[in-house]
Amino acid sequence: MAQIVAAALASHSPLITGRPEVSKPEQRDRFYAGFRELHRRFAAARPDLVVMFVNDHLQNFPYSNMPAFCIGLAGAYDAPSPGGARLMRIPARKVPGAPEWGMALLERGLAAGIDFAYSHEIESWDELSVPLHFVAPEGTLPVVPVYTNCAAPPLPTPRRCYEVGGFVGRFIQSRPAAERIALLATGGISHWVGTPETGRINPEFDHTVLDHVSRGDVEPLLRLTRDEIERDAGNGGQEIRNWLALLGAVPGWKGELLAYEPVADWITGCATVWVHP
Amino acid sequence: MTTTSYGLNKALTAIARQHTMKERLTDDDLAGHELTEAERAALKAGDTAGLYHLGANPYLIRRVFRARFAL
Repeated sequence: MAQIVAAALASHSPLITGRPEVSKPEQRDRFYAGFRELHRRFAAARPDLVVMFVNDHLQNFPYSNMPAFCIGLAGAYDAPSPGGARLMRIPARKVPGAPEWGMALLERGLAAGIDFAYSHEIESWDELSVPLHFVAPEGTLPVVPVYTNCAAPPLPTPRRCYEVGGFVGRFIQSRPAAERIALLATGGISHWVGTPETGRINPEFDHTVLDHVSRGDVEPLLRLTRDEIERDAGNGGQEIRNWLALLGAVPGWKGELLAYEPVADWITGCATVWVHP
Repeated sequence: MTTTSYGLNKALTAIARQHTMKERLTDDDLAGHELTEAERAALKAGDTAGLYHLGANPYLIRRVFRARFAL
């Protein structure tokens, strides 16, 4: 049984790296410190690969074919691409994929009734680039992304995301003992992007989510409806599905909050959370 | 039920993939797209709130009309 040697939740936004100068220095410093601590812990854990629970932002998946869950089978991911690098102001680079590991997850999932879609070519955006810039700056850690539709409603339910994450966790348990696996979920927490309420953040919702995660009490989060999340956390808040998928992979584990800052200038409730037994 | 317009989102996706940011769109930008009159008018006006209520995806609205967002 492979080991899960690291697990973390982190917000993503292109502005975190793209527009550092617009944020309040003390907020930025506290939030970046959370990412630095995640980097330290990931490096100390020496993972062989990282499974990333993430979502597309209509960069890839078009409305002509929209997967609920999609495993990345690419040999490498632009994280970021040259175009993304200009906007996110981090160096363009390719990070390695782990397509054989991804294919094994895909095949086992289909055999078990988890109807993953798959993709051999993914144009990533901040969902991979920004967290990896901080957490795996070396760019050598292979990535298996599991994309969940958080951005093009109708969306899979939070409970289904947790169940799919649960399958990923059981798959990891079936892997050879020598494998050292890291898990990283990105996105959330509250933010409104492109809607008439763009720029709003709801720290009350964010603290509720973080409190539940800290106690390992996810059941109330699994009961949230899309409409409730949209009302209290915005369209960007739908990305907590990624967090719930990761938590499904490690049932009973709890969160240790490393940083939370409602950064108005980045239009996102920004958190980093270490998840542990 | 989810409000979504395939015509709007198909047009916005095509324009977003050109990686140019606009204040408003022109008939040339929209040539060949199947849109209602209200959708076409909102795209040409760069009416981001109107587009949202007509069923455009907000991520696509933001990518195409980034110049209209203060943050």
